[in-house]
Amino acid sequence: MAGMAADTTAEPEALHIRSSFRGRPRPMILVPLAVLALIIIGTLSMMYGAVNLTLPDVWSGLTSNSNVFARNVVWQIRYPRLLDGMIVGASLAVAGSLLQGVTRNPLADPTILGITAAAGLASATAIVIDRQIPQWGIAMSCVGGGLFGAGVLFVIAWRGAISPVRLALAGVALSAFFGAAIVALLSSSRTFLQTSLGFLAGGLYGAEWNDFHAMLPYVIPGLLAAWLLSGRLNVLALGDDVASGLGVATDRTRLLILAVCGVLTGAAVSVAGLVSFVGLVCPHLARFTVGPDNRYQIPVSALYGAILVAAADLVARLVIAPSEIPMGIVTAGVGAPFLLYLVKVKG
Amino acid sequence: MKLSVRGLTLAYAGRTVIEDVSFEIASGEMVAIIGPNGSGKSTLLRGMARLHRPRRGMVLLGETDIRSMGARQVARTLAVLPQSPDGGLDLTVRELAWRGRFPHQGVLQRATKPDYEAVDWAMHVADVQRLAERPLISLSGGERQRAWIALALAQQPRVLLLDEPTSFLDIAHQVEVMQLLRRLNTEGMTVVSVLHDLVLAARFTDRAIAIDNGRIAFDGAPKAVFEPKALEAVFGCAMMILTDPESGLPIPLPRSAVGALPVAAPGA
Repeated sequence: MAGMAADTTAEPEALHIRSSFRGRPRPMILVPLAVLALIIIGTLSMMYGAVNLTLPDVWSGLTSNSNVFARNVVWQIRYPRLLDGMIVGASLAVAGSLLQGVTRNPLADPTILGITAAAGLASATAIVIDRQIPQWGIAMSCVGGGLFGAGVLFVIAWRGAISPVRLALAGVALSAFFGAAIVALLSSSRTFLQTSLGFLAGGLYGAEWNDFHAMLPYVIPGLLAAWLLSGRLNVLALGDDVASGLGVATDRTRLLILAVCGVLTGAAVSVAGLVSFVGLVCPHLARFTVGPDNRYQIPVSALYGAILVAAADLVARLVIAPSEIPMGIVTAGVGAPFLLYLVKVKG
Repeated sequence: MKLSVRGLTLAYAGRTVIEDVSFEIASGEMVAIIGPNGSGKSTLLRGMARLHRPRRGMVLLGETDIRSMGARQVARTLAVLPQSPDGGLDLTVRELAWRGRFPHQGVLQRATKPDYEAVDWAMHVADVQRLAERPLISLSGGERQRAWIALALAQQPRVLLLDEPTSFLDIAHQVEVMQLLRRLNTEGMTVVSVLHDLVLAARFTDRAIAIDNGRIAFDGAPKAVFEPKALEAVFGCAMMILTDPESGLPIPLPRSAVGALPVAAPGA
């Protein structure tokens, strides 16, 4: 530390969040471009899938009753699935932003820290106990599981000293434990194997209005809370003593932020299963775009999450159409190289 | 605004670090807290800043116990700068200074005219205006310390507490930071710093409070209390006091105990 502070060119210790493009202008132009990209991806999602519709088909399906087939495809299948995907992506991305901020660790993400797996275990348990459980019941248990995972993380990692390394280790252990429990549970109930695959890899197969309605009561307050906490998260990033000195109750704020992560992650898992890497990648892209201020970074991260999941779902539906692969494979295909890039470039 | 420490006892990990310490810092004083490593002086500063919950006793800001005030409310009057803070390296100096407005802003943090004025004033006083758009990571140690001071000043505090504000700085930057604090002090701010450097303490402060083993060893104007015997008792090191011919202020120095030092062999 002595050397670091004295040496003008010294790099900080590895685990601090920093933009790899520091000092350069922030490319905020990417935000309107991203909105445009979301509109295009949304349009394509309405057109392509097991059956392909033309743009006029989609339009008449959305706005009139003239084409009953198109109307059903658009309103009953594609539109709700697109919305589900966007909400799942936004929730995971915001959870990732919150976690990276609160842990001051650029590798933090709901999957890496075990919150996704905790929510997934709750979901699997609920389904095994009651196969007829309604979607709102699954959402409720997933949110409970997410909160539990976040709570365990807080208790394990934040009793006494706070160390990013300790947090990451605890997360890996929790993730492995909950993950193993999920597989044990699912494999002991044989009939589930086919749908289990989509759940384990993460996907939006069959996502519908029910899922949308079951997520909203958690996602809307969750996203709102994330945005309201973003100012405190900004101050928390300066270190505990500075944050306390500025009037932030550090432990209470951290607990609140982790709870919000648990709720958002749980809601996402209830619909899409164990999607990984969305919460890792999007915060970095958002930071690159608008800089380190969480008041801007969090909404932009949500936007990028919505785009990433919507695009990944489109790809997942098209590669082996009319069949489809789990969407989580696509996000992992984008996310895993990105993680390697972070490890290599940012050390 | 005055700051009173009354019967303060602070424990760290179950061990009592500061024991039954009382003193009063008058409004507009410039005070150094000195003492050897592990004497408890940083913990004392943290206790005075509401960062450390007292086991017994209290700290009064004006007439009010800081524990009975909200953290934000304290932060609007009292700013504290911990020793070499390590966060915020990706922020620009201006962004860092803006975060000092946190205790004054509501939940949605809409910036108001007083916010802009406070940030401009803080950056002007800390002399970081020309660095405003530079990220912290690109700054030298002295520049970075001034940027952190700008954050504290953006709080518009009447009491400023600093933990070793000159550590890791070269001598020119040490003097620069101390002169900045002195300037703030002459404009009415109460300034309390934990200082390792006794020469700086003697030159730039009105009063030195020496902490040894969790208690006050001595307390007074450096010119009066910097005596070899008193400093030796606190620091466990043979001391002598020279007098600065320009200012008449004491210059405490360790004695050169030649016999005790290993002498390099010729040619080594």
